[in-house]
Amino acid sequence: MTTTEPDDEVPTRTIRLRVNGRQRRVTIEDRQLLVDVLRHELHLTGTHAGCYNGDCAACTVRVDGRIAKSCLLLAASVDGCELRTIEGISPEGELGDIQQAFWDSDAFQCGFCIAGHLFAIEDLLESNPEPSDSDVRQALTGNLCRCTGYTNIVKAAQLAAQRRRDAVEHT
Amino acid sequence: MLLEHHGNAAVVGGGTFLLPRMTRHLLEYEHVVDLKDLGLRQITSTDGEIEIGASVSYVDVLESDLLRSNLALLPRMARGITGGRQITQQGTLVGAVCFHFPTTDAPGAVFALDAMVDIHGPDGRRSVPISDFLIDAFVVDLRPGEFVSSMRFAPQPSGGYCKVKHSTGSWPIVTASAVPGPGGSVRITLGAVESLPVVVTVEDPLDRTELKHRVDSAITAPWSDVLAPGSYRADIAAAVARRAVEDLMGVPK
Repeated sequence: MTTTEPDDEVPTRTIRLRVNGRQRRVTIEDRQLLVDVLRHELHLTGTHAGCYNGDCAACTVRVDGRIAKSCLLLAASVDGCELRTIEGISPEGELGDIQQAFWDSDAFQCGFCIAGHLFAIEDLLESNPEPSDSDVRQALTGNLCRCTGYTNIVKAAQLAAQRRRDAVEHT
Repeated sequence: MLLEHHGNAAVVGGGTFLLPRMTRHLLEYEHVVDLKDLGLRQITSTDGEIEIGASVSYVDVLESDLLRSNLALLPRMARGITGGRQITQQGTLVGAVCFHFPTTDAPGAVFALDAMVDIHGPDGRRSVPISDFLIDAFVVDLRPGEFVSSMRFAPQPSGGYCKVKHSTGSWPIVTASAVPGPGGSVRITLGAVESLPVVVTVEDPLDRTELKHRVDSAITAPWSDVLAPGSYRADIAAAVARRAVEDLMGVPK
C-alpha cells in the first residue's frame, strides 16, 4: 500500500492583498496559483477554475486595475496588490449594471464563465463607451462560453453600454 | 540566484506561457524569478533608438504614442494576440520572444524590426541581434544566470501585418510582417511557418508572381503541429505575405 507523507518541504510565505476593498493576509505555498488561493484560502469561489491554461477566462479578476487570468499568475507575484473579484463587482445582494444587462438579456446559462465576460465587458466599456458589435466580440476573444453562443452576451454588452450612455445624458 | 540554480530556475515576465506549462508539469522548476519589481516596464527613446523593457505588456505597447509613431508594426501585431484583453494586460512582448514558442505573433514581428536584445548576466551586459538570439523553437541565446532586460529598435514608422488562425482563440498558423526596404522594395518576415522566422525581400511588392515565388522557395522546413501540417503552412504563406504587403501599402481589402 502506498502512503502519502505530508510534504513539509514545500516553501510557504505570507502575502498581503487588498481584496474587494478589504486588507487580507494569507499564508500560501510559493507554488500556488492566484486562482487557487482565491478559491481555497480566501473562499472567494465566484472566481472559477476552468482550464488552468489561460483559454477560458472563468478565473478573471482585476489586479491593480488590470484584468488578468488568475490561473496564469503565481499568488506570490501579486503580493501587495489590489484585487477585485466577481464578489466585489457590486454591493452584496445587488447586481452591477453589466450584471443586470446580462440578466435582462439572458446572456448566460450555467454561469460558469460569467466572471470573465463581466470583467472583459467592464474593461471594454471603460475605454470604449460606444462599442460596435465587432468591438464587443473582439473584447471577448479571450473568453469561452460553451452555453450561449455569445449572441446574447454581445446584446447584453450593448444594453449595458446604452444604459450607461443614457445615464450620462440624463445627468 | 539564476546562476546558482541554473537549469532549475525560470524567469517569469507575464507568465502566460510559463505557468500553464508548469501547472501541467510539462516544465518543472524549483525556483521562479519574477522580474516585475525591477522597474523594466518602460518604453523609452534614447539616441534615436526605442527601448522596450522586459516587463512591458502588450497593452503598454498598444497605448504607447511613441510606438504608434515609430514602430507601428508592434501595436498592429499586439492588437490581435491570442488570449484577449486579459492576456494583452498580462503578457509581455519581451517574455513572449524569450519563450520563443514559434507559432505566436511576437517573435516574427520583433524579427522583422531587427531588434537588438539586451541581456543582463553575471558578467555584465551584452547585446545580440534578434537573428542570433533566436536559436531554435523554445531555444534562445541565454547563458547561465542571464535574463533579457530589454529590446532596442531603430525607428520604423511603417509596418503591415497579417495572420491566419483558424479560430478566435487559436495560435497563429502563419504570420507575416511587412516593412519597407531600400528602393521601393519590401521585406517580409514570416512567423509561425518554421521554427525560426523566415525573411523574404521583394523588389516589386505588387508583383504577385515574384512574391509567391520568393516565399515558396524560402520555406524549406515548415512547422507541423496539431493545428496545421507544415504543407498547409507552406501553401498559405505566400497569400499571408501578400496581405501583409497590402496592409503596409494601404491597398483596400
